[in-house]
Amino acid sequence: MEYIVETKHLTKSFGKEKAVSNLEMKIPKGEIYGFLGPNGAGKTTTIRMLLGLMRPTSGSVQLFGKDMKNNRIEILKNVGSLVENPSYYPHLTAKENLEASRKILNVPKKRIDEVLQQVRLHGVANKKVKGYSLGMKQRLGIAAAMLHQPELLILDEPTNGLDPSGIIEMRQLIQSLPKEYGMTVLISSHLLSEIDQMATRVGVVSKGKMIFQDSIETMRKFAQASIQVKVNDNEAAWRSLLANGQKADLGEESVTLQAEDDEQVAASIRYLVQQGFSIYRVQEEKRSLENIFLEMTKEEQAG
Amino acid sequence: MILSLVKADFLKIKRKGMWLLCLIGPFGVVALQMVNYGVRKDYLFDQMDDRWLYYILNINTFTPLAIVLGIVILTSFMASIEDETNAWKQLVALPVSKRAVYLSKFTVVSCIVFLSSVLLFLFMLGYGLTLGLGADIPYLRIIEYSFLPFFAALPVLGLQLWVASVSKNQAIPVTLGAVGVILAYSAPLLPDWVIWKWPALSNDWDHSYINALLGIGFGLVLYVLGMIDFKRRDVK
Ligand SMILES: Nc1ncnc2c1ncn2[C@@H]1O[C@H](COP(=O)(O)OP(=O)(O)OP(=O)(O)O)[C@@H](O)[C@H]1O
Ligand SMILES: [Mg+2]
Repeated sequence: MEYIVETKHLTKSFGKEKAVSNLEMKIPKGEIYGFLGPNGAGKTTTIRMLLGLMRPTSGSVQLFGKDMKNNRIEILKNVGSLVENPSYYPHLTAKENLEASRKILNVPKKRIDEVLQQVRLHGVANKKVKGYSLGMKQRLGIAAAMLHQPELLILDEPTNGLDPSGIIEMRQLIQSLPKEYGMTVLISSHLLSEIDQMATRVGVVSKGKMIFQDSIETMRKFAQASIQVKVNDNEAAWRSLLANGQKADLGEESVTLQAEDDEQVAASIRYLVQQGFSIYRVQEEKRSLENIFLEMTKEEQAG
Repeated sequence: MILSLVKADFLKIKRKGMWLLCLIGPFGVVALQMVNYGVRKDYLFDQMDDRWLYYILNINTFTPLAIVLGIVILTSFMASIEDETNAWKQLVALPVSKRAVYLSKFTVVSCIVFLSSVLLFLFMLGYGLTLGLGADIPYLRIIEYSFLPFFAALPVLGLQLWVASVSKNQAIPVTLGAVGVILAYSAPLLPDWVIWKWPALSNDWDHSYINALLGIGFGLVLYVLGMIDFKRRDVK
């Protein structure tokens, strides 16, 4: 397969600590790649290396099949980015800010109005950015990243500081990019729920290591909610379910059903009732991203 | 690439008061002599037969100070514009080489200081003409004392830009700059190899162009060293 982003054994150490360790990231063309990980996992450090802002301690970065080390400028002509907090010049207006990048990118002036329209800042385009809200600054950063219609858009936590309607707009905008312009998008976040609705591929990083990288469908299976059942005698109920060939885990105060769909849940509950157990509660527990991370790391170690 | 970077950098210094500084520097240096000559013109006229030369030398007591101070402020401003919201990362993630980014900053500061030198020439000549210093106007000397301090100050520019662009905290280049300003003011007490002495244009050989040539040469060396260091580092 042809990858827009491909890193090999990518490693970055700060002193003794490895912020990114042997990371192999692969992003096919036209995908929206959700790059997930808790705080300090190494997302921003990875992105900085993808953009040539930091030199890897070892390993390599290839974008569009070209090596970053020797083709940095050529590669960056086709990359738009927003890293961490948005950068801007507060004493300049939104237009002037974009103009400063436009001069370097050498694109037509009308692109400025177009991107301002896209992020809905056209109304305040001539106001100094100093007075903008955090969300507006974030939008300006995204506008700057899209100025030259890059083939690859790299957004590091782009929904930071946006209000719910801003997040929805952003999501719609990002979702439209691969379809309309054939862009590939890398978007980092520490919230699965945020990426869940737009990403087509997911990479999960923890302590600098990539612990999961696959399609969103595969990811969803991990993220599925579990059903907990509280019974008068949990252990007996659990044994009885297992004896009947149904998958279940015994928790401290409940039995967790490993059911894949609603019918299986219904079947397990019916069985327990028929066996004469008193069922106190049946509750759904959405697994948090943290739990999924834990599970994935566990599997990583086991496998 | 470098031209568009320079254009972008000139756009970024808008509303930062850097142009005002460019005007205030040379104006201040000449204004000090306006006070001086305004108060005791007759006394000053008696000090030397060549009244023009004496006037020019009087001006030149403050030029090095102004130039060094100006360079410290301008280089620190240039860096702080990018530091403020850490725009270095956005700038360097554009399709430009880090070397060009550095060269552009150097070019912009040089342009502003050079423009100050042009203004110094005009102010020095203009005020001199109103004083009645004599019919023989020493244009060459005025040019010498307007422009050579700029070239002689290039090492200071190279050093300050280097420190300002790689420091996380602008207090470091500003402190270094303050020491530099004091050194520039104490020029007569210093040995010839101290770069802060050079803008004063005095040396043991009594040829001011030596300072300018040394300034260009050593300025180039410090510029290249700064650029290499800037390129080598990870972006803040
Ligand atoms: N310049 C640096 N010097 C030293 N350590 C650093 C530097 N940059 C990052 N680190 C360390 O590298 C690790 C990864 O940081 P990174 O910013 O990449 O995490 P992240 O996944 O982006 O987290 P967040 O969700 O908080 O943005 C952290 O432990 C951090 O302390
Ligand atoms: Mg981060």
